[in-house]
Amino acid sequence: MPADRSLGMDHPHYEYSSLPQRTELSWPTGDPLALGALVLLEHYEWEPPSDAYSLRNPSGGLFKLPAPDYLQLTHREYGHRVGIFRLLDTLERHEVPVTVAVDKLTAMHYPWLVDHLQSRSCELIGHGVAASQLITSKMTEEVEVEMIEESLSYLERVSGQRPRGWFSPEGVESSRTPTLLAAAGVHYVCDWPNDEQPYQMTTPSGELVSLPLFLEVDDEFALWRRRASLGSWEKMIVSAAHRMHADGQTSARHLMLTLRPWLTGQPFRIGALNRALSSIAKLQSVWTARGSEIVDAFKAVANSD
Amino acid sequence: MALPPHRVDYLPMADRPSIAWPNGARVALWIAPNVEHYEYLPPRDPARNPWPRSPHPDVQGYSHRDYGNRVGFWRMLDVLDQYDVTCTASTNLAVFEHYPDIGKAMADRGWEIMSHGIYNTRYLSSLSEKEERDFYVDCVETLRRHTGQQLRGMLGPAVSNTIRTPDLMSDAGLTYHADWLHDDQPIPIRVEKGRLVSVPYSIELNDVPVFLNHYDTEDFVAMVKAQFDTLYAEGATSGRVMALALHPYLMGMPHRIEGLEEILDYLLGHDLVWQTTASEIAEYFLDHHYDDFVAHAASINEATDAR
Repeated sequence: MPADRSLGMDHPHYEYSSLPQRTELSWPTGDPLALGALVLLEHYEWEPPSDAYSLRNPSGGLFKLPAPDYLQLTHREYGHRVGIFRLLDTLERHEVPVTVAVDKLTAMHYPWLVDHLQSRSCELIGHGVAASQLITSKMTEEVEVEMIEESLSYLERVSGQRPRGWFSPEGVESSRTPTLLAAAGVHYVCDWPNDEQPYQMTTPSGELVSLPLFLEVDDEFALWRRRASLGSWEKMIVSAAHRMHADGQTSARHLMLTLRPWLTGQPFRIGALNRALSSIAKLQSVWTARGSEIVDAFKAVANSD
Repeated sequence: MALPPHRVDYLPMADRPSIAWPNGARVALWIAPNVEHYEYLPPRDPARNPWPRSPHPDVQGYSHRDYGNRVGFWRMLDVLDQYDVTCTASTNLAVFEHYPDIGKAMADRGWEIMSHGIYNTRYLSSLSEKEERDFYVDCVETLRRHTGQQLRGMLGPAVSNTIRTPDLMSDAGLTYHADWLHDDQPIPIRVEKGRLVSVPYSIELNDVPVFLNHYDTEDFVAMVKAQFDTLYAEGATSGRVMALALHPYLMGMPHRIEGLEEILDYLLGHDLVWQTTASEIAEYFLDHHYDDFVAHAASINEATDAR
C-alpha cells in the first residue's frame, strides 16, 4: 500500500503543532515549570484470561520465565505492599502532589490502598483493568468500550469520584482509544509522550487533552529497559527539569515523572528520587500540581485565546 | 481479601504489626551464595532452554559457570571466612555428589544449605504433582545424607515453580520459600497443611542481573549500601530483612572480589545487624510474629469486605 504523504499527522487524533509557534502558555502561579508525578499501580494477574494481551516481555523479575513466574509477579506486587509508601513519603516530603493511575484489579484487590491514597489527597486516574489485560487493536471496539467503562466505573464506585484522567495499561492503545476515552467522559490522557506542554486532541466524541509524560525519565524506560544507572537517571531528571525551567520562561512547560512503586520504591532506588527532587526544589519557582490541575490550567489559557 | 492465587493476604507496610528482631536488631541480613551446577547436556525442557546461545553443548556458558566451582567459590570463601559470615547457600544439591570438597567446606562452616533444586538446568515448571513430590523427597534425603541437616527452605531451581509448589514444600516439611520478592519482611504463605512463610530474597540485589548487564562492581557496592541504609533506617520502627544474593562465578572473579570485602565491611560495621540464615529468620518469625501477621491481615480483610 503506498503511503499517504499528506500534510500533518498520519492519524486523526491531534494536529501537528510546533512548540515555538504556539500561543504562550503560562501557569496560574506564573512559574515557568509545572512538576507532577504519576505513580502507577499496575496489577499483573497470576492467570490472565486466555484471550488477554500482555507485553511480550513485561518488566520485573529476572527474564521471561514459564508460568507461573513467581519472580515477575511478586516483584510487581512489592510495589503495592511496600514500595508505594516510600514513593508517597518521598513525594510528600518535597511537596509534590501525587496523581495515581489505578487499574481495576488493584482497586478491587487493594481497597485499603485506595482509601489510603484518598486520605493522602492523591488524584486517582483510570488505568484499564490490569497490566495483564492490555487495550489493543486486536480487540473489537465493543470490548474496548466495555473495558474502559469497567475500569472507570469501578474506580468511581470505590473512590466516589469518576476519574478525569487516564493512562492505558503499559501505555498501550488501540487506534480507537482517544475517541473512546473522550466518549466515556475522560478529560485527559497520558498515553502520548510527545510534548513538553499539554495539547488538545481532536477527538470527535468530546473534548480530550493530552497530558504527555516524559518517557526518557520514566523509571521503567530508563532503569529497566535502558538499564541506565541510578546516578544517570537522577542526573537526567535534574537536567531535564533545569532546561525546561529555563525554556519555560518564554512559554511554560510541564514535567510529569512516571514512577512505579515496585521499581523506584525499592530501598536502594528511593534515595535517587529524593536527591533529584531536592535538586529540583532549588529552582524555587516550580509549580507542583496534580494531572487535572495542570490540564485545567492549560485549558484556561487555551480557552482565553 | 487474598489475591489470586489466594496464597497471600494484603498487608500494607504502613499498617501491620511491628517486628522485633533479637537484640534490638533493625535488619536481619542473610547472605546467599548460589552454589550451582549447570549440566553440560541437560535434558530437553520444551518450556525453557538453559543454553539458548547455540545447539548444546554451550561450552562457553557452561565453563563461565563451572569457573565458579573451580575458582570463584574458593576465593569468595576466603573473604566470607575473614568476616566470619554464616551463609545460607542456595545449593543445587547434586553439588554434594559432583563436588564433595565444596559440600564439605560449606558443612564444616555450619552454613545452612537451602535447596536450589538438584541442578540449575532441571526446572519444576513442567513437573506433575507426583514428580514434584518426589523431587522434594530427593532434596530432603540428599541433604540429610551428605550433611545430616534437615532441609528448611527452597529457592526454586533456576527460580522455577509450579502453582502447587508452596503446598508441596510444606508437605515435605519445609518452612520457608525464597521465590517471593513481594516484601521486606517475612510473610505468611497460605498452604493446605502446615505453615509456610516467604523469606524475602532479591533479584535486584543480586550479582546476576547486575553483572550480566553493563554495571560495574562499584555500582553493585553502591546499590547494596543504599539498600542497607534505607532498611536500617526503617528497621528502627519494625525489623526488616535484607538478602544479598551472590554467585561464585561472578562475585568470585578477581576483578570483583574487593567489592565483596567493601560490602561486608559496610554491612557488618553496623551494630544493629542480625547476620543470620534464612531458616533462622523464618523460625523466629514463625515463633514470634506469624500469628499477629495472620490476625492483622484477617482484620484488614474483614474491614474491607464490610465495605
